[in-house]
Amino acid sequence: MKKALAILLVVLVIAAAIVAWFVTRLPSSPFDGQPRAEISNDLVARGEYVARLADCVACHSTPDSAPFAGGLEMATPLGSIFTTNITPDPQTGIGNYTLADFDRAVRQGVTPDGARLYPAMPYPSYVKLSDEDVRALYAFFMKGVEPVRMANRANTIEWPLNTRWPLAFWNVAFVESGRYEPESDKDDLWNRGAYLVQAAGHCGSCHTPRGPVMQEKALDETNGNYLSGALLDGWYAPSLRNDHNTGLGRWSEDEVVQFLKKGRNAHGVVFGSMTDAFNNSTQFMNDDDLAAIAHYLKSLPGDRERDGTPWQYDAASNEKLALSNRTDNPGARIFMAKCGACHAADGRGKTPWIPPLAGTTSSLAPQNASSVNVTLNGSGRVVTDGVPDSYRMPPFREQLSDKEIAAVLTFVRTSWGNTGGPVTSQEVRDLRERTDPASSNPIVLQMR
Amino acid sequence: MIVQDAKGSRHATTTSRPDFQIIAKTLDQAKHEELAMELTINDTSYEVQSDGETPLLWVIRDELGLTGTKFGCGLAQCGACSVLVDGVVTRSCVTPLASVVGGRITTIEAIEEDEIGKRVVEAWVDHQVPQCGYCQSGQVMAATSLLKENANPNDDEIAAAMTNLCRCGTYNAISAAIRDLAGETKEG
Ligand code: FES
Ligand code: FES
Repeated sequence: MKKALAILLVVLVIAAAIVAWFVTRLPSSPFDGQPRAEISNDLVARGEYVARLADCVACHSTPDSAPFAGGLEMATPLGSIFTTNITPDPQTGIGNYTLADFDRAVRQGVTPDGARLYPAMPYPSYVKLSDEDVRALYAFFMKGVEPVRMANRANTIEWPLNTRWPLAFWNVAFVESGRYEPESDKDDLWNRGAYLVQAAGHCGSCHTPRGPVMQEKALDETNGNYLSGALLDGWYAPSLRNDHNTGLGRWSEDEVVQFLKKGRNAHGVVFGSMTDAFNNSTQFMNDDDLAAIAHYLKSLPGDRERDGTPWQYDAASNEKLALSNRTDNPGARIFMAKCGACHAADGRGKTPWIPPLAGTTSSLAPQNASSVNVTLNGSGRVVTDGVPDSYRMPPFREQLSDKEIAAVLTFVRTSWGNTGGPVTSQEVRDLRERTDPASSNPIVLQMR
Repeated sequence: MIVQDAKGSRHATTTSRPDFQIIAKTLDQAKHEELAMELTINDTSYEVQSDGETPLLWVIRDELGLTGTKFGCGLAQCGACSVLVDGVVTRSCVTPLASVVGGRITTIEAIEEDEIGKRVVEAWVDHQVPQCGYCQSGQVMAATSLLKENANPNDDEIAAAMTNLCRCGTYNAISAAIRDLAGETKEG
C-alpha cells in the first residue's frame, strides 16, 4: 500500500514538473539564435505597412498617449487588463526584445520570461503571419517607432484568477499552429486576401462569434461560423459573408474596396468600432491588397437560414410618414423630426455621404445593439486622407428618452422592408447605462 | 465671388475669405475631386466648382453670398439652415451638393415669389413673430413646406411639422401665424 502511494506521488511530481515545464516553456521561433541583423530602411517601411495591416496602434495606444505606448483598458468579466508599451524603450517597452522574443509575443502570445499573454492580443490570428512580415514588423518597432518611457499599468484581475499559465492549454485547444498556407486550388488574389483577412487583418476578432471560453468559433473559411457576425462591446459586428441581409451579399467587390478605402459606399458608412479600424488601418492598405480582401470575402457563401428572406425595399412605409398619419404614430413622428433630414424621408439616405437606414445590416440584423448604440452615442469622426467627414451622426442620449428611442428604432427596424424587429425601452436603458462612462457598469473594450 | 458666363449663368469661385481658402486647400491636398455642378437656386442657374460632398449651406452662404439662410448647428438639429428643394423643406447643412443637382432650390431671398411663401411672410409680419430673427428664415421655409403638403393643418399637425428650434421661444407666435393661414391657402 505504502509502495503504491509512493509510486503515485512520484508520478504526480513528474506530471507536475512536465506541466510546469510546458506552461512556462518558450516555444521555438524560426529566428532563434539568429544574430541581430542590420535593419534597412526598406524593411522599416515594409514593417510600417504591416503594422497598418495589423492595426497595432488601435490597442497599443490611447487617444491621449503617444503611438504604441500602450495603456488602453480592456475588460474581462474578472477585471481589466491594460495594453502594453510596445515602443523600443529598453526599460518600459520592448527595446530589449530580440527578433525571436518579438516573434514569440506576436505569433504565440508568450513573453520572453515565459508568461502567457491574454488572447485579447490576437495572436490566434497573428500566428498565421509570414516570417517576412514578422521580420519587417520587428524592424519597424525597433527603428521606425519613437521610444517612449511609460511604465505598463498593472492589470486589475485578482489572484488566483489572474493566473495565466493555464492559457498554455487554451492555446493547445484553440490556436492553430503555423503560418498561413496558400490553397493550391485558389488563385493568388484569393490567397493574398485570405492571408490578409485571417492573419494581420484579424477581422475574425470582431466579426466571428465566440464560444464559451471566448475562443473564436472558426479561424478560416472551412467553417460556416467564420466571419458570420458577432456581438461585441455593445456593437453588432455584421457578417462579412455573402449574406444578402446581414452580410456583404448585395455588395460588389468594388464596393467592398470603396468601403475600406473611403470609409463609405452606397450601402453604408463606417461607425462604431469599425471607425477606428478604418481611421488607423484599412484606408492605408494599397489597392491590390484591398482588391484581394474583397475577392476573398466575396468567396464566402452566405447562409439563407440564418439570414432570412432576402430584403427588398418596401415603399408602402412612406405612407406612415405623411403628416396626417404620423401625428399619432410616435415612431414615425420622431423619425421625421430627428432622423429624416439626413437619412431622407424615404429611409434611403444621401449616399455615399449619409447612409441609408432601409436595407442596412444594422436595420436587418435581429441583434439591435448597433442601432441603439449609434442612436444614443452618435458616430465617431471618420478621417479620410487626413480630412474629417462633413456629416456625422450626433448623439441623442440627452435629447430622447428610452421610450422615444425605442419607438423610433422600432419604426426604422420594421419599415421599408427591414426585418430587424422592435426595440424595447428596457434594451435602450441597459445600453444607455453601459455606454455611459460614468456608470458603475460601463462597457470597456474587449477587442478591436 | 460670382462671375457670369456668356450664356448668362453665374459662376461661383472661391471667395477670398481666409477660412474658406484653408478649407479649399485641405480638400485639394486630400485629392478630393472637384466637380463642376449646375445648381438652380431661386430660378437662377449657377455653376459651382466643388466637391460633391460639400454641404449646400456652405455654397449658398460662402460662395453665392445668399446669407439669409443661417448656420446654426451644422448637424441637422436646429433647422436654421432650412431651404426648399422642389418645395420640400430641407436642412441644407446636411445636404451634399451632388444630391441636389437638378433640383429646384428656393431660399428665403426668393420666398415671396412663391404664392404660399408670400402669405407666410405676411402672416409673420401680422403676428410680429421674429424676436432676434436668427431662426426665422428657416421657420418660414418650414411653414411654407407644411402648407404646401397640407393646406389646412390642425394643431397636432402643426406641432409635428414645425420641428425647427427657436432660442427666443417664438413657438406660440409661429403656431398662431400658421393657424391663421390654415384653410386660407388655395393650393397645396
Ligand atoms: S444648421 Fe442645419 S439644422 Fe442647424
Ligand atoms: S427668433 Fe431668435 S432664435 Fe428664433
